[in-house]
Amino acid sequence: MSDRIEQARAELRSQIDAKVSSYFSSCIHCGLCAEACHFHVETGDPRYTPIYKLEPMRKLWRSEHTLSGRFSKLLGRSTELSEQDFADWEELVYDSCNLCGRCSMVCPVGIDIAYMLRKQREAFNLSGYTPEGMRNALQRTLTTGSPMGVTLKTLQATLAHVEKASGLTIPIDRQGADFMALFSSMEVVNFPEYIASVARIFDTAGVSWTISSEAFEATNAGIQIGSREGAKEIVSRAVNAAEKLGVNYLISPECGHAYTAIRWEGPNLIGRRYRFEVIHILELLDQLMREGRIRFNGKSDTPMTLHDPCQIVRRGGVIKAPRNLLHQVASGFVETTDHGSMNWCCGGGGGVSANERAEALRLKVFGRKKKQFEESGVDTVVTACANCRIVLEEGLEHYEMDTEVIGLTELVAEYLEQGAD
Amino acid sequence: MIGDFIDGPLWYLSLTVFLLGVVWRLVAILRVGVAPDFSTARHGGAGGALRTLFTRSLPRRPVFTRGKVQLIAGYMFHLGLFALLFLAQPHVEFISERITGFGWVTLPHWGFILAAEVAFAGLLLLLLYRLMNPVTRLISDTGDYTASLLVFLVMLSGCLALAQAYEGLRLLHLLLAELLLIYFPFSTLMHAFTFAISRGYTGAAMARKGVNA
Amino acid sequence: MYRPVSGTAILRLLQLLIVLALVVAGNLSAQTQAEGIQLPNPGTDLWREVRQRAQPATPGPTSPMRQAPGIDLWSEVQQTNPVPAGNTQVKSVDSGMLINPVGDQWRRFRMEMLVPYGGYVLGGALLLTLAFYLIRGRVPIHAGPSDKRLLRYTVYERMIHWFIAAIFLFLALTGLTMLFGRSLLIPLLGPEAFSLLASASKEGHNLFGPLFLLALALIFFRFVRRNIYQRGDLAWLLRGGGVIGSKHVPSNFFNMGEKSMFWMLVLVGGVTALSGIILVFPILGLGRELMALSHVAHGVTAMAMMVVIVGHIYIGSIGMEGALEGMATGYCDLNWAREHHDWWAEQCEQNGEVVSVEEAAGTEGFAQGAPKHAPLGETGK
Repeated sequence: MSDRIEQARAELRSQIDAKVSSYFSSCIHCGLCAEACHFHVETGDPRYTPIYKLEPMRKLWRSEHTLSGRFSKLLGRSTELSEQDFADWEELVYDSCNLCGRCSMVCPVGIDIAYMLRKQREAFNLSGYTPEGMRNALQRTLTTGSPMGVTLKTLQATLAHVEKASGLTIPIDRQGADFMALFSSMEVVNFPEYIASVARIFDTAGVSWTISSEAFEATNAGIQIGSREGAKEIVSRAVNAAEKLGVNYLISPECGHAYTAIRWEGPNLIGRRYRFEVIHILELLDQLMREGRIRFNGKSDTPMTLHDPCQIVRRGGVIKAPRNLLHQVASGFVETTDHGSMNWCCGGGGGVSANERAEALRLKVFGRKKKQFEESGVDTVVTACANCRIVLEEGLEHYEMDTEVIGLTELVAEYLEQGAD
Repeated sequence: MIGDFIDGPLWYLSLTVFLLGVVWRLVAILRVGVAPDFSTARHGGAGGALRTLFTRSLPRRPVFTRGKVQLIAGYMFHLGLFALLFLAQPHVEFISERITGFGWVTLPHWGFILAAEVAFAGLLLLLLYRLMNPVTRLISDTGDYTASLLVFLVMLSGCLALAQAYEGLRLLHLLLAELLLIYFPFSTLMHAFTFAISRGYTGAAMARKGVNA
Repeated sequence: MYRPVSGTAILRLLQLLIVLALVVAGNLSAQTQAEGIQLPNPGTDLWREVRQRAQPATPGPTSPMRQAPGIDLWSEVQQTNPVPAGNTQVKSVDSGMLINPVGDQWRRFRMEMLVPYGGYVLGGALLLTLAFYLIRGRVPIHAGPSDKRLLRYTVYERMIHWFIAAIFLFLALTGLTMLFGRSLLIPLLGPEAFSLLASASKEGHNLFGPLFLLALALIFFRFVRRNIYQRGDLAWLLRGGGVIGSKHVPSNFFNMGEKSMFWMLVLVGGVTALSGIILVFPILGLGRELMALSHVAHGVTAMAMMVVIVGHIYIGSIGMEGALEGMATGYCDLNWAREHHDWWAEQCEQNGEVVSVEEAAGTEGFAQGAPKHAPLGETGK
C-alpha cells in the first residue's frame, strides 16, 4: 500500500471524533437522507444516498471503533480501507455531494452528514483521489491568490472601471477603516455590478470601508477539496490583511462557501479567535437598513422568488436578512415550496461547479430546481451567491427556461435612495 | 434446569452485559471529544441541543411527503414498542419484581394488545421496506437484519406467551430477550441511546450558526 | 462491504419452502385419513348421553323411555321444541340458557366435517398442484428471458404484498395447528407439548388476525383499480387463461384469474377476517349462535382462501418462469410481460417505459416519477 493511502487512512482516523462516532453508532440505515438529496431524488440511484457516500469513513470506524469490527478483523474477515475504496468512492464524495447539508436536516437520529463528508474529503485529498478541476482551483488560489487566476491587476482594472462608471472612489488599503471587504473572483470577473453596488450602498450609508491589496479573495478551494493546509493558508491571508489594517469587521461577499470558510471554519483552521468580526454582506445591508442608514426609492413589482444559497442560509444562519431586504425592494416576492433552511441546492456547491467531469450529472439534478422554480410560478430568481448564480444560469439555459437570475445586493442598490440631499 | 439457568444466572449476565456494554459504548464515544470551536457563536449551543433533541422526533414536511412509509411505520413500531416494553402489565410486574421494587401504571389488556398490533405492523413494514427499497437495501448490513429479526422474535415469543399459562413460552420469551440484551450494546440498537448524543451535537452546532436544526 | 439479498436467493428459498410444503402436505393428508387415535374427550361422552336420553319417543307403547321421568327435563334442556329461556339473576348474553344445543351442532360440524373434509380439500389442493407441476412443468418464457424490463410493482406495492403474505402464512400455520393439531400433532408431540403449542398458536393467531384486516385494506385500496373487470377478461376466462390449449391469451395488467383471486381475497378474506374479529372479541355482546356461525364461516372461508393461495403461490413461484421477479425486484422481464400481460406490455412500450436490466437493478421504482437513468456511468472518469 502506497504512502499516500497510508497517510489518507491516518488522516481519516484522526478525523473520527466523538460526533462521528456518535453519528455512526446512531445510524440505523433508514434511508431517509436519500429523500432529502437532490442527487438521489433526481436520478433515483441508490448510490447517491448521502450516508452511503460516507462508507469509507464508516468502514474505518467500524473496524477500529466497534467490537464486531475488531472481532472480524481479528478473524481476518474484514479488510482494511484500501486504495480501491478511495478510487471507488471518489465520484460519490466529490461529484455527487454539494456539502449542502439538506440531508443533515432530516436525519431522524440527528446525524450531520455534511459535517462528516467534509471531514472525509480531507482523507480523499491526501489519497490523491480528487477531481482535477478542484485540484487546479486550489493550486491556482495558492499560487496566484484566486481560483480563477484573478490577480491584483485584474481587480484594479475592474475597480477602475467601476470608479469611472460610478464616479466613486474605492478605498484601498485604508488603515483603520471600520470594514474590510472581500470579493470572490467570480464577482470580479463576471459580476462587477456587485462591486459597484457595494460601493454605492456604502457611500450612501457612510460606511468606512476598504479593500486590501494583499487579500481580496474570499473563496476558498481548500475547504471544498478538503485540504486543511490549503484552506488555512487562504484564510490566513485575509485574516492577516484585516488585522494589519486594524479593521473591526471583515465583510464576507455574497459567495456562499466563502462565508463558511471565513466565518465558521476559519478560526478553527488557524486555531484562534480573530481580532475582528466577520459579517456577511446581507447581514450588513440588513443592519444598515434597520439603522435607517439606507432607504429605498420604491419597489420592483416584478414577481420574484429567492434561492437560498446553502452555505449562507442552511449552513450559515443568514436566514432572515435576505428576506427583510427583499420585502423592502420587491412587492411581488414569493417563497418557493422548500425555502430557507430546507431549500434545494443549485447543484454547484461544494466544488462541484469547479469539477468539469460532474457537469452532466449537475445539469441532470438541476431538474429539481427547475421543478421548484416552475412551482413558484415566477420568472425572476434572486440569489446571493456568485457561484449559485452562474450555476443557476447554466441550468436554466440547459433546460431552456426564461427565468432571470439577479443578485440581491444589486437589487438593493437599484432601489437605493441616494444621499439625503 | 435450563429454565432455572434462563431465569437466574443468564438473566443477571445479560443485564450486566447490557448495562456495562451501553456505558462502555457511551464512554468510548464521548471520551474522544470534539475539537474546540473558535468561531464566534450566534447563539449558545445548549439550547439548540435541547431543542433538536425533541424536534427531530417530528419529521420536516418536505421529507414527510417523500418518506411517508418509513416515517409512519417507524412511528408505529417505536410507539408500540415503548408501550409494550414499559406499560404492559407483565413487563411492569417483571421489572418491579426483579429490578426496581416498585411498579407503575399499566395499560389495560386491550391497550396492551393494541400496542402489540401496532408495533408488529410497524416492524414488519419497516423490515419489508428495508428489503424492497433499493436505498435501504444497498445501505443495510447484516447487523440491521440481525437486530430487526431479534427484536421481531422477542416480540413474537412475547405474544405467543400472552396466555401466561405456560412456563416454557415465558422462558422462551425471556431467553430471546436476554439474547437481545447481550446483543444490544454491540449493534445499531445502540441508537436508542446515542440518538440523543447525535441530535445534541448537531443541534448545538447548528444553533451556534443560528439555524434551527 | 454490502451483501444485498438477491432476488434469486429469495426465489430459491421460496422454491425450497414450496417443495417442503408439498412433501409435508402429502404426509398431512395421509395422516388425516388415518385419524384413529382415541383421546379422552369428556364433552363427547356427555353429549352422547344427552342425545340418547332426549331421544324422542320411539314407536311402540312399550318403549321403556316413555316411562323415563327425565324425558321432559332433557327435552327442555336440549330445547328440541322452542322454549322460553329460564330466569336468572345473572345478566349477560345467553345467561338464561342452561345448555345450548347449537354448541353441539357446532362441535359436531367442526369435528366431523371441517377437520376431515377440510384436510382432504387442502391435501387435495396440494396434491393437485404437485400433479400439475409434474405434468405441465414450469411455464417458460417462450421467447426466452430478455435484457429489457418493465416496472411492474413499486416499493410500496411489493411491501404491502409481502406484508399480507407474511401475515397470511403465519395465520394459516397457527390456524392449521389449532384445527388439525388434535389429530396430527398430538401423536407427534404428545399432549403436553401440543397444549403449549396450541396456546401459543391461539395467542399468535388472535394477535395477528386484526393485522390481516389492516393488510387487506392496504391491498384493497392500492390494487382495486387494476382489478376491475374489463373487456377481454371474459375471453381470457373462456380460454382457460392459457391452461387449456397452448395459445397465448391476451390480458391486461392483471388477467381474469388474478382479478378473481383479488376479489376472492377481498370478499372471502373479508368474511374470514370479520368472523375472526367476532371470535376474538366475544365481549361484543353477541349470542352463542352467532359465535358458532362465525366459527363455521371462519373455517370454511379460510380453507377456501388457503386452497386458492396454494395455487397463487405455485403460479407465482415455481409454476411460471419470470413470475416472481416482478414482486421480488419490482421489474418484470419484457418478454414475460408480452406473453402474459401483452396489452399492458404494449402500452408500456408505447409510453417508452422499457428499461434495461442495468437500469432496473440500479434505480428504484418508487412512484415519484424519478427518471430511471443512472448517470454515474455517464459521467465516467
